[in-house]
Amino acid sequence: MASVRELADTEVDVTGSHTPAGDGAAPPPAGPARTPGRRRRNWGIRLELLILLGPALVVFLAFVILPVILAAYYGFFSWSGYGPPTDFVGLRNYITILTDPDFHEALGHNFFIVVFSLVLQGPLALGLALLLNRKLRFQSAIRVLIFVPYVISEVVVGLGWSLMLQTTGAVNGLLEKIGLGFLRADWLADPSVAIWTLMLIITWKYVGFAVILFLAGLQGIPEELSEAAAIDGASYWQIQRHIVLPLMGPTIRIWAFLSIIGSLQLFDLVWIIWGQYVASTAGTSTMATYMVANGRNAGSFGYGSAVAVVMFLISLVIALLYQRYILRRDTAGAITGGVK
Amino acid sequence: MNSKTILAGAAVLAAGALALTGCGGGSGDSGDGDVTLTFWHNSTTGDGKAYWEETAAAFEEKTGVKVEIQSIQNEEMDGKLQTALNAGDAPDVFMARGGGKLADIVKAGQAMDISSGISPEAKKAVGAALSAFEVDGKNYGMPVAILPSGIYYSEDQFTEAGVADTPGTIDELVAVDQQLRDAGLVPFAVGAKDAWPAAHWYYNFALRACSQDALNKAAETRSFDDECWLTAGENLQAFLETKPFNEGFLTTPAQGSAGSSAGLLANHQVAMELMGAWNPGVIADLTPDKKPLPDLKWFPFPEVPGGAGAPGAMMGGVDGYACWVNAPKECVDFLNFMVEKANQEAYAEAFKTLPASTEAQSVVTDPALQDILAAYNDAPYVSVWLDTLYGQNIGNALNVAVVDMFAGKGTPQDIVDAVNAAAAKS
Repeated sequence: MASVRELADTEVDVTGSHTPAGDGAAPPPAGPARTPGRRRRNWGIRLELLILLGPALVVFLAFVILPVILAAYYGFFSWSGYGPPTDFVGLRNYITILTDPDFHEALGHNFFIVVFSLVLQGPLALGLALLLNRKLRFQSAIRVLIFVPYVISEVVVGLGWSLMLQTTGAVNGLLEKIGLGFLRADWLADPSVAIWTLMLIITWKYVGFAVILFLAGLQGIPEELSEAAAIDGASYWQIQRHIVLPLMGPTIRIWAFLSIIGSLQLFDLVWIIWGQYVASTAGTSTMATYMVANGRNAGSFGYGSAVAVVMFLISLVIALLYQRYILRRDTAGAITGGVK
Repeated sequence: MNSKTILAGAAVLAAGALALTGCGGGSGDSGDGDVTLTFWHNSTTGDGKAYWEETAAAFEEKTGVKVEIQSIQNEEMDGKLQTALNAGDAPDVFMARGGGKLADIVKAGQAMDISSGISPEAKKAVGAALSAFEVDGKNYGMPVAILPSGIYYSEDQFTEAGVADTPGTIDELVAVDQQLRDAGLVPFAVGAKDAWPAAHWYYNFALRACSQDALNKAAETRSFDDECWLTAGENLQAFLETKPFNEGFLTTPAQGSAGSSAGLLANHQVAMELMGAWNPGVIADLTPDKKPLPDLKWFPFPEVPGGAGAPGAMMGGVDGYACWVNAPKECVDFLNFMVEKANQEAYAEAFKTLPASTEAQSVVTDPALQDILAAYNDAPYVSVWLDTLYGQNIGNALNVAVVDMFAGKGTPQDIVDAVNAAAAKS
């Protein structure tokens, strides 16, 4: 629970730190460095920076930046992974990816997941957060229950659900027992059902994260505002709609950003539940599962690298657009765009 | 003070750099004294795992060479091995199944040529099975088991449904399916979640439809140009339309749990399963009492009239072990040791399968396995699993395309197209 609090606090910070600063730019801490008489100390600071930042920077460069550059390089080769790549194929891998119907499908699934994660989790989490923000019996117990799925590892969740959702599994058995046998379905394998099954599991798993973020956001809204509105005669729903919701804007937008990026890179749940082969058949493949299936598993590391680059670019473009058009109002320092 | 911090900082950075660049010294190839072989196999359960531990201990006692075992789940093996080989830190002895997959490793210069290291005794014992590991006339692996494919069935369930004879043709098989259905039984289990068990159906239909030449030609061109590949898909599709498989087969794994296809057969939930000769051992682990299934029997894949494949031809694999190119020379000794008569006999009993050594085949007493052995010895030729034969890239695409067809999402032409398109993704 302590870690939950911490997380919530930092998130409040992220969304709210710029509110009082006006233009949001922190003043540069450059004062002492510009005084010539303190050159010695300047070196001291640099050394300190080197020692403190150095190791982290080396690790970051070696394990994040370098692989990105290498992937971009390997993407231009037909390379089975043994020895240095020699068979340069130019843009062939990229052309194959962009014309491969399997990749189009995977991309479609990703966007489906992006949209429905927002549509399903957003209102649900907001409702739960509003509910949990009031004085309630068993409040902390309910909070924990909602947050537990988020903490459980994806592999455990995936295995558990995949066993329960088999045609002869617990879910169908339960439906039968309570007289809802007509609802029995092939939850995982039927292509018309599988993606919705995935959405349900994703919602169940990640809604707790959204709730915690929203709760933190709610707690950052001064109570005086609601009290003042109440004195003016506003009903509970009016207060939520016209005061709380607009003030929650920054939190919601940050959550949506995290959700979108997570949906674009979804891998583990699908991989565990549908395995390495059936995901594309059942209609739940994502760009990431496509990458591993056609890259690593097929032994085509050049092609897989190219897929990784395409995925990176798609995520980057979406992230930049989101930053530019949606998050900017937060980073520019306004509380919300709506209240002005 | 200052110089001390500089020194400390430099030390930290140097240590970090060392940690990043140091890849460890490689395996124990140390000329004299202690030699250690790292060894990857795919038995994760029961007797099979114990067999390798005992064999490794016996080898160490005999030669003083230590064998470090790592047991890797079968479905993880290809990917892990490839990563290890890429990283230049591969196991000295690793599992191999011949075909295009081994050829790819050989082509990359990662497998040791053991042609001259194989002892005459070993050569005599395993005989023709050695050819599965031949690439360009050189030998790169030692077979330990022959694993032809065929249909396992529960004799009790056949009796219950009133099936007197095992089916010899595909039409007879469809009739048997109907008889089983009428008796309220499920004809087949297939672990389509793992793809290859579903793909084995296509391989066998291809074996019946295609001539031996067509199979081998595709291994060279790595494309499915021959008309027979389409025919095989059409025959499979016609068979799929009779809906012979267990409910939810797309999310059924092949092995490991009661809900897997082997588990379903082990617990009499289905009557049949198409599988390789390792199946009796896998099933024995999944029966309620963990003992071999008493009524487990076997018949060869039915003939499909009109095909170019020779009657009696079999699809199947050879499991064996290869040496990494940088392995200590003792690696070959270990391979020779594996196929010594006593070790092969123990292997056959531990895995309840067919040993590669003809000298050890007399210990096979299981009636299902005896039938397989007889069919194997009569077979005009035995083709390696197609995904093994055609290499990882095409094999993968082929398997996925077959699963699509099982799910009703693909046509016979799609299988051919997927194989031909896979080359572009290499």
